[in-house]
Amino acid sequence: MMAVASIRSVFAGRTFAQIGLVWLAFVALAAIFSPLIAPFDPYEIDPIARLTEPGWPHLFGTDHFGRDSFSRALYGARMTVLIGLGAVIVALLTGGLVGMLSAYFTRLGHVLMRGVDVLMAFPALLMALVLMTLLERSVMNTIIVIGVVYATTTARILFGMTLKLKGEVFVDAAVCSGAGHASILFRHILPNLVSPLLVQASFIFAFAQLQAAALDFLGLGLPPEVPSWGNMLSEERIYVTRAPWLLIFPGALIILSVFSMNLVGDAMRDSIDPRFKDDIAGV
Amino acid sequence: MALLDVENLEISIRFGHELLPVVRGVSFSVDENETLGIVGESGCGKSLTALAIMGLLEGSGVRVTGGRMRFGGRDLLAMSADERRHIMGNDMAMIFQEPMTSLNPVYRVGDQIIEALQQHRNLSRRAARRRAIELLDLVRIPEPDSRVDSFPHQLSGGQRQRVMIAMALSCDPKLLIADEPTTALDVTVQKEVLDLMLDLQKRTGTAIILISHDLGVIAETCNSVAVMYWGRLVETAPTDALFETLAHPYTRGLLHSIPAIDRDVDWLDAIPGRVPTIGEQIAGCPFHPRCPRAESRCRHEVPQPREIAPGHLVECHFPYGGDR
Amino acid sequence: MSAQPLLDVRDLKVHFRTRGRTVRAVDGVSFDIAPGEVLGLVGESGCGKSTVGRALTQLERATAGQALFEGQDILSMSRRQFLPLRRHIQMIFQDPYASLNPRLTVAQTLSEPLFIHKIARSRKDAQARIAETLDLVGLGPEAMTRYPHEFSGGQRQRIGIARVMILEPKLVIADEAVSALDVSIQAQVLNLIKKLQRDSGMAMLFISHDLGVVRHISDRVAVMSAGKIVETGDKSAIFEAPQDAYTRRLLDSIPRIMPLKETS
Ligand SMILES: Nc1ncnc2c1ncn2[C@@H]1O[C@H](COP(=O)(O)OP(=O)(O)OP(=O)(O)O)[C@@H](O)[C@H]1O
Ligand SMILES: Nc1ncnc2c1ncn2[C@@H]1O[C@H](COP(=O)(O)OP(=O)(O)OP(=O)(O)O)[C@@H](O)[C@H]1O
Ligand SMILES: [Mg+2]
Ligand SMILES: [Mg+2]
Repeated sequence: MMAVASIRSVFAGRTFAQIGLVWLAFVALAAIFSPLIAPFDPYEIDPIARLTEPGWPHLFGTDHFGRDSFSRALYGARMTVLIGLGAVIVALLTGGLVGMLSAYFTRLGHVLMRGVDVLMAFPALLMALVLMTLLERSVMNTIIVIGVVYATTTARILFGMTLKLKGEVFVDAAVCSGAGHASILFRHILPNLVSPLLVQASFIFAFAQLQAAALDFLGLGLPPEVPSWGNMLSEERIYVTRAPWLLIFPGALIILSVFSMNLVGDAMRDSIDPRFKDDIAGV
Repeated sequence: MALLDVENLEISIRFGHELLPVVRGVSFSVDENETLGIVGESGCGKSLTALAIMGLLEGSGVRVTGGRMRFGGRDLLAMSADERRHIMGNDMAMIFQEPMTSLNPVYRVGDQIIEALQQHRNLSRRAARRRAIELLDLVRIPEPDSRVDSFPHQLSGGQRQRVMIAMALSCDPKLLIADEPTTALDVTVQKEVLDLMLDLQKRTGTAIILISHDLGVIAETCNSVAVMYWGRLVETAPTDALFETLAHPYTRGLLHSIPAIDRDVDWLDAIPGRVPTIGEQIAGCPFHPRCPRAESRCRHEVPQPREIAPGHLVECHFPYGGDR
Repeated sequence: MSAQPLLDVRDLKVHFRTRGRTVRAVDGVSFDIAPGEVLGLVGESGCGKSTVGRALTQLERATAGQALFEGQDILSMSRRQFLPLRRHIQMIFQDPYASLNPRLTVAQTLSEPLFIHKIARSRKDAQARIAETLDLVGLGPEAMTRYPHEFSGGQRQRIGIARVMILEPKLVIADEAVSALDVSIQAQVLNLIKKLQRDSGMAMLFISHDLGVVRHISDRVAVMSAGKIVETGDKSAIFEAPQDAYTRRLLDSIPRIMPLKETS
């Protein structure tokens, strides 16, 4: 009940964010139910039906292997959610922990945060590229690489927020009560970071899409046969003049989803503790 | 016409579907060279009144729902957001109650003052920094040229408050609203800071609204005093008249709660009970449940403001010094 | 003095090093507190009062000096060695809004010290003690399940006091414990602190810049200026016959309300 009420208050009067939320709900449903909804097997090659125009039964047309684009797009939603969630988890777990511990244990922080600063000097995509060339193309590796790339910004942000909370009087009060390090970090500091973390997660989710699409496009992301929106763009890009729909649909899907996630993130950011607003400036 | 005229100001807070009034019909005015003190218990609406004047209520679920505010003859509530912001930056300044939350802990205090200065004035960074150091010196921060590079947590509570004051003074405002500016300060610095504000007033004619719960501070600095209780001004008077008569039982109760510096008592005369919460329904005078003079009339009839002497308004059926 | 003091602070120094410079926040402070005694600590803003309190609770590391609590030097103890003593040396903080974790209910906040110091054997025992302590500070048991933002400043400070009292400490350091409260609530809370102090016989270091408050609550007063104590004495001596120039300036700066006291 409380959660519903607070969600409602976050999105009240924000038409665009509401539309974004609805779109994301669609994507989530498509991801969950893709095997049921998809009219064709996304991997099934049909050399006769190559590059069919959108229509019936191929709603989004077919690609140059004759695979059904609509079914691939549905399965692509699955990849989108998987990679987004995976990257969020990796980034929050690694970056979050590094940031929190660095802020809490000052001396450790000096060392760790210098490292983070060095990593942050590289553009995100460049870092992802370098890491991907070292690793095999797979879903898992893509998730890890994108997660690690955004771990640096997450670490920075959590570092700042933890530093603020560490100076709070209620933390001093907990120390005076005899609370240990673990209790202070996880019982007193972390719960106060939950809502800014959610906002941060929504931004990572959005940017992970872009990263994943870019990696796929450059042929370094998911294995080429895996149906993802980025791969669909990448595989069919040479047919842009003959079969533009093959690029328009996945491109639009990526843009819509990233945009929606950002709108939702913005709405959430505006409703959190004003102290932390400056910290989450985007990823 | 006074510089700032507040008439029947009503401020409400949204609770679910209800809009409950918190400040319920407050009127006062301040002119150049004047200092108005507002006193009252915590939560009675002093800060909200100040924020409403500054135009800082937007987006907090709190709204001005009635009354008028005029600044230099212009209706503040009818202004566009841009005009409002312009006035806020150049003609009005506020010293906030909580120095800890108004200073950003991750930036050096000097940079925060410099930013404020550069927003209002065309200053180079060098010049702004020099001015920032001057301001820190003005508010008696020791070694200002090195303290300018401190982070907020490296300053004591009182020093942080003084940094806030320096920021407010940086743009020579026409109206200065000081919300509990000296609560965190010790008496010697408090005196210096208050003198500083009065000094500014002498130089530039700034009108000052001083919000405080320290009646001593109010008595020494203000020309007139407004005593607020649960969103109403229950007593308004020139300072001398107010402290001479202490007409409203609430004003008197406040005064008796203060521990004396020149005499020992075992227990303080605290006002019993608590301030009613927002939206609570109280028949009659809102103060009657805590009032030593309450009679049956107080329980049924809401007192209206009465002028018991020139400029001395009291909202009480049985004020001290009045005929019963 | 015949009895052994509860706390004996000798030549306490706390220096902060920032960007190559040293701030001598506390620079050789000595005082003692007898069991059950209230020592007021006054002084100008930034003179190091809070730092003294923070050093005595190990929130800040002392640079030099000793603080003997029942004969043991608490400053040289490690965090772990100090842990059992925390129960006896408690702190009330200034800001009733900031000193309570907004995400914990009152019962959660109050049970934390009970379990850390193994005072409560069971949840039930803890509940009972919490209810008892809340009652002591004038709050009802229904407060337990509520969050800090649901309370007024005065009520929050009562919760802060309850968190301290629940441990039955021997020494309480109150750093501006009533400064954030407005006068009428301040009077209620001061009366409460005074009553609890008398009933439990705990000693107190009462830090405040409000001389009226200090006079009201203290037995003895120490006046601090620029990291040093300039004068210590019985409160009547300090307030009626101040020896030090700084103390006199302090007393002269107090804003007074002229005609008021005759009317009472
Ligand atoms: N943004 C807000 N949302 C909901 N309630 C609020 C908000 N701001 C203030 N209030 C409530 O409005 C009332 C008046 O608040 P205000 O801050 O004006 O009090 P005050 O007189 O300044 O008190 P104090 O002396 O403690 O500063 C209080 O009960 C407060 O809890
Ligand atoms: N972490 C820190 N790093 C550097 N300097 C500090 C730090 N903490 C405090 N100081 C400095 O130490 C001095 C004493 O500070 P402290 O907070 O003890 O003062 P105080 O007497 O409690 O003042 P107030 O009445 O304003 O609270 C101040 O000059 C302050 O700037
Ligand atoms: Mg206020
Ligand atoms: Mg202090």
